[in-house]
Amino acid sequence: MVIDAAPMTTPTGWALRAVVSAHMVAIVGQPVFAGVYLTGDYDSLLWHAIGADVVTSIGYLQVIVAIVVWVRLRRAWPFLATMAVVVAETVQYFAGLDGALWLHIPLGVVTVAALVVQFIAVWRRPLLRREARDARAR
Amino acid sequence: MRERDEGRGLSRRRMLGIGGALGLMAATGLSASAALARRPSVTGAELRSAVPLPPPFQVPLPIPAVLKPVSTSGGADRYEITQREASAEILPGVRTPLWTYEGAFPAPTIEARRGRPVTVTHRNELPVPTVVHLHGGRTPAASDGYPTDLVLPGGWQEATPHTGHGSAQGAHGMHDPRAVVTRLTRDYTFPLDQRPTLLWYHDHRMDFTAPAIWRGLAGLQIVRDDAEDSLGLPAGPRELPLMITDRAFAADGSLDYPSLDPTLRERPGVREPYLAGVLGDVILVNGAPWPVHEVDAARYRLRILNASNARHYELEAVSDDGRRLDLVQIGADQGLLAAPVTHRLLPIAPAERYDVIVDFSGVPVGGLVRMVNRLGSGRTREVMAFRVARKATDGSRIPRTLSTDLPAWRRSDAVRVREFAFRVGQMHGGHGWLIGGLPFDPARADVTTHLDDVEIWRLVADVHHPVHLHLVGFRVLSRSGRPPLPHDAGLKDTVSLRPGEGVEIITRFDGYRGRYLFHCHNAEHEDMAMMANLEIL
Repeated sequence: MVIDAAPMTTPTGWALRAVVSAHMVAIVGQPVFAGVYLTGDYDSLLWHAIGADVVTSIGYLQVIVAIVVWVRLRRAWPFLATMAVVVAETVQYFAGLDGALWLHIPLGVVTVAALVVQFIAVWRRPLLRREARDARAR
Repeated sequence: MRERDEGRGLSRRRMLGIGGALGLMAATGLSASAALARRPSVTGAELRSAVPLPPPFQVPLPIPAVLKPVSTSGGADRYEITQREASAEILPGVRTPLWTYEGAFPAPTIEARRGRPVTVTHRNELPVPTVVHLHGGRTPAASDGYPTDLVLPGGWQEATPHTGHGSAQGAHGMHDPRAVVTRLTRDYTFPLDQRPTLLWYHDHRMDFTAPAIWRGLAGLQIVRDDAEDSLGLPAGPRELPLMITDRAFAADGSLDYPSLDPTLRERPGVREPYLAGVLGDVILVNGAPWPVHEVDAARYRLRILNASNARHYELEAVSDDGRRLDLVQIGADQGLLAAPVTHRLLPIAPAERYDVIVDFSGVPVGGLVRMVNRLGSGRTREVMAFRVARKATDGSRIPRTLSTDLPAWRRSDAVRVREFAFRVGQMHGGHGWLIGGLPFDPARADVTTHLDDVEIWRLVADVHHPVHLHLVGFRVLSRSGRPPLPHDAGLKDTVSLRPGEGVEIITRFDGYRGRYLFHCHNAEHEDMAMMANLEIL
């Protein structure tokens, strides 16, 4: 019961925490660069573009980690939530290239909010393998 | 354990609920944005005419008369232009009072030769001060039409010009000690030591440029040279100047404009809904609403100027069967390109010019080719039309090499890089348009550079800002970090920035020393302080 009260996070769980955290740090930079760019700092647009590459790359990395979580821990929600964010980020990428600001700005806000929710979800509780918990419950 | 599991189950249900609510919010927000956004984006608000509008393609396209010089002796041409009130029948059966150069809108065209100076004596018989600027002219500062270099009307009761940018405050007593003010007349001298191209002259008076142009103070000036004449481009009746403007008409037939002070004497600015720019619902080409022009089945050279205050166009030429004709661009704001560039769709911002060849030879006799504005909606989607009237022989050609004298500035030539944000802001407690966070002040040196210095300027916009530099032409290096667009080719003096866009340009400040301007050529933005000084030492 002692173990059950303080369940250990698996390496896979730590990997998910790490990638979601890095993802959130990267995405928070994007509105910063966009705002500085609109003050007339042209180089910030380059940083915004590099940031977009970094954010989407971490997003695809998160997909891989989320698949591992699904396989090893038998938990699907990280994968589904990650896919939603990655789809949004891909749309976001092309909306930005296309200058479709009506889509780019609100979608960016929504994507940051979704990542913050994921960040809270992965850090709030350890991610345990589903059978382990079910076994203990029995 | 059971309690905890129940807790988890509840929590999972709640998590699903929260997730669903967030998803719903995201979907609602994005669809609201999609529904409310202007797609394509448009900066400005449209006035609605209070008179019935004529059907399109009924009125023939007028060609502005060529002004006769009063003297051609001494290696220079002298002209005289009287600025006066007049009226014209722009819409059939409707008299419209105008402010004009020589009684005409568009004003008479001045035909000039490269390197042959032109002096124009302007006489101001309008009720307000005026300033003439030759847009795109390589002009000494004294004749460049700085906004405080006023020509006062005969009876004007103000000893020194007090100017005040502001949408709702009126004059602030911003005195410009360097202003050169004359009464009644002024000689403007243009050396025209520049590449042949289509220029235009228009009013540039401090705080009141937009309504003055709207009332009719705009005309063309064409510079030619032997090299261009020898290219074999379509010429004579097959060269058409097209000055595109949008206007709106009030119930009494006058041009509607949301001025705070309709006399345009004291209080500058427009009513609040129109702060981003004034758009009209009638498209005029050479002063005629949605005109039609009879053409031969041959190549035509269209010299297009967007002289609208705030309206952008995306032009395409569409035949009866829906086929889009090629728009072969041969020239930009500052003359011929190196080689032709073929467009199907040609965006044109206020004050930009495009020199374009259209070939009507593939259109059957009797066919109609409509010039369509893809950015318009309803009536503003149509611009004008060409009716192919007859078969004809065509000796014209489009050379593969148009010019070899375009400047080839490289990034490494630049001695400095400057950055400017063009965006909305507060000034004097009201709404304004700012460059680098500052409203225009004639007394402040915003850019000081040296003659023959090469500089790169990085311009960033919040909404549409067509940015214009006086005196010099420039080349577009990049758009938002990517290569320039096809229509950015050649030498330009106005570059169109779209919302959120950043553009890099490169230029050499050559020609003349003195105090010049750069500004947004959305005329309402310009009147609301989106100008800055360019001092060349």
